[in-house]
Amino acid sequence: MEKSHHFSLSDLLCGEDDSCLNERGIKDLGSVSEFDDEYIKLLIQKESIFQSDGNGFSIESEGDWLKCARLDAIRWILETRAFFGFQFDTAYLSIIYLDIFLSRRSIDDPKLWAIRLLSVACLSVAAKMEECIVPALSEYHVDEFNFERNAIKKMELLVLSTLKWKMSLITPFAYLDYFSAKFSGELRCDELLKRAVELIIDVIKEVNVGEYRPSIIAATAVLASHDYALMEKDVEIKTNVIPSWESLEKEDLFSCYNLLRKCKFAKSNTPNSVILPNLSSSQSSSDHASENSSITSTVGVKRRLSYPDGDRCCPPRP
Amino acid sequence: MGDGRANNPNSHSNNNSSSNKPEWLEEYDVIGKIGEGTYGLVFLAKVKSNRSKPIAIKKFKQSKDGDGVSPTAIREIMLLREISHENVVKLANVHINHADMSLYLAFDYAEHDLYEIIRHHRDKVNQAINPYTVKSLLWQLLNGLNYLHSNWIVHRDLKPSNILVMGDGEEQGVVKIADFGLARIYQAPLKPLSENGVVVTIWYRAPELLLGAKHYTSAVDMWAVGCIFAELLTLKPLFQGQEVKGTINPFQLDQLDKIFKVLGHPTQEKWPTLVNLPHWQSDLQHIQGHKYETAGLYNVVHLSPKNPAYDLLSKMLEYDPQKRLTAAQALEHEYFRMEPLPGCNALVPPQPGEKVVNYPTRPVDTSTDIVGTISLQPSQPVSSGNSVSGAMSGSHVMQTRSMPRSMPMVGIQRMQPPGIPAYNLSQAGMGGGINPGNIPMPRGVAPQAHQQHQMRRKESGMGMTGYPPQPKSRRF
Repeated sequence: MEKSHHFSLSDLLCGEDDSCLNERGIKDLGSVSEFDDEYIKLLIQKESIFQSDGNGFSIESEGDWLKCARLDAIRWILETRAFFGFQFDTAYLSIIYLDIFLSRRSIDDPKLWAIRLLSVACLSVAAKMEECIVPALSEYHVDEFNFERNAIKKMELLVLSTLKWKMSLITPFAYLDYFSAKFSGELRCDELLKRAVELIIDVIKEVNVGEYRPSIIAATAVLASHDYALMEKDVEIKTNVIPSWESLEKEDLFSCYNLLRKCKFAKSNTPNSVILPNLSSSQSSSDHASENSSITSTVGVKRRLSYPDGDRCCPPRP
Repeated sequence: MGDGRANNPNSHSNNNSSSNKPEWLEEYDVIGKIGEGTYGLVFLAKVKSNRSKPIAIKKFKQSKDGDGVSPTAIREIMLLREISHENVVKLANVHINHADMSLYLAFDYAEHDLYEIIRHHRDKVNQAINPYTVKSLLWQLLNGLNYLHSNWIVHRDLKPSNILVMGDGEEQGVVKIADFGLARIYQAPLKPLSENGVVVTIWYRAPELLLGAKHYTSAVDMWAVGCIFAELLTLKPLFQGQEVKGTINPFQLDQLDKIFKVLGHPTQEKWPTLVNLPHWQSDLQHIQGHKYETAGLYNVVHLSPKNPAYDLLSKMLEYDPQKRLTAAQALEHEYFRMEPLPGCNALVPPQPGEKVVNYPTRPVDTSTDIVGTISLQPSQPVSSGNSVSGAMSGSHVMQTRSMPRSMPMVGIQRMQPPGIPAYNLSQAGMGGGINPGNIPMPRGVAPQAHQQHQMRRKESGMGMTGYPPQPKSRRF
């Protein structure tokens, strides 16, 4: 496992050869074809069909424990993604599963092991959906717990049936190439795309995945990777080239863009700290008081996570 | 989906694991086993609340210890949950037996398949399939395929045994494509298929795959449809190559030889990207040294070159996948606008007085219990240690950006029978995709053996005789 004491996305990215990015066709800077337009249109349609019922889970209304457990799960998923060299969308997909699971079932009381087991099952199922090489269950390392493989399988089945066997959910990564071609044309480069990937990963920590449509997150991440100072009108003009969104979703665009912008500024203002409380697995959680709670509080109408001090949020590890 | 019981969060905790029978099984009267393969077993059952509704229940074989739920099962079910079309098999429910964590898929049952229909005409009635039936079967097959292709799904393992046809009932004579499987549906990234992954049954395998192409496109399915069309006309497989076995994805020279003998030598003029294919380069002396005579397809299928059926067939068997007809184009072909026009009930011609062939029903083995069938499995010859459940591992979602041509988005629905209720009978596709080499595979790319045939050989032990020699299953 990649041990990064100060866990941040750039660690994850730098630790790799970026091949995961290139695989996604970034080298291909050709223009967007009609075929792509049709495909993206279909994707946007599909995301509303398949993802509209996953919105019930509001992190805000859950206890601090669950918020923190979710962040902890995301941290574990991202670390494990890096360890196995999974694509980012595999990790993202597993976080969608996690959020849907939490929205449809409740885990009573602080049961860290249950969240851990759930994280393993979600990532394992996502890897089976997305990856060429799927690790055996025994290869998933969870520091504090030793799960029997049958227990993981049982949890996989629970995740799958909770998803109602609808595992093919669209992630923002599906749109990245297309939107960067649409919005930035020749300005596209790997560096910007990498930044967009970081932003997408940052935002999933901030909001439940059901809060914004994947296409909205992708579009705003591409915009924000270029320019953090767009006005609402600019965002609207830029995104007018995508006809599929309805007016309601257009409002989301700017609020999501703002959220990304704030993530970005929070990150650059507090280089070591960050959006996550209790980032590293080796540190106890108390020394992460940051101004994180202010990051998101002013943005938009969407419910979102607030970050109380880490020590209140996360129980000490067993 | 279905009654949703397996998906009901509460049913999990209520499940009585001390009982041998899972709770959901109480909904069914299980009649007996109708199929068997390395993927597991298929049972025929009736829903207790609706005795007229037959269901095929496919029990996935348990995955290798420690791997959790098999990727094959996950991808298959995911795909089945997303598709809905009158010419595609319908998944009615997913059930879990929590006691041993095995998975069961309930499908609407289809009594017939093209393999049995062709065999019946060839071996029993000794008579060609009537032109109305051929055209209707082909039209519906293309209609279902057009739907799959429009949704970026490539079947990859079309063959007669995977094309089901509904028996008596409201949907009589309706074609259902089965055994397409496992892959994700959208967002398919540009990822080469792994070396061990070419899955289409060799007789129906497109030449670009035989020559080592790494990417599937929808064109591979159209090649298979061409082969099936010819087989419906002649009752014989069009290209019956001897399969090379043993190594992983070996070069199938004999299959190519059979194709070139009928269709002529492929040239760079006809097929510009030919020279880029791995086997075309590496097996120069084998293929390129050989000079094949001019094409003689019309002789093989006994059609005049002027016949629209011949025109359609030859366009499906175009060497260059980029020039090969698409399903949407095929549906527009003149052949389908001439008499006899295709119909929804392929088995019963609309003209009164036409002879209706009575096809045999599937044999049912009533001696096998649906629960506790685990003990049966060690006797499976192909169940290598890591074999996992997973029929329908054949299909693959199309590559999105590397597609050599744009996909038609037209939804051709003209054959949709007006007023047919949502009573889709079809069957889980006996046989078909098995994945002995299972787990690490890219997006449902599973080695496909001729499990169908293997399964049928087993069935012949249950009282069915008269099978023609079948290619043996490939082992990986």
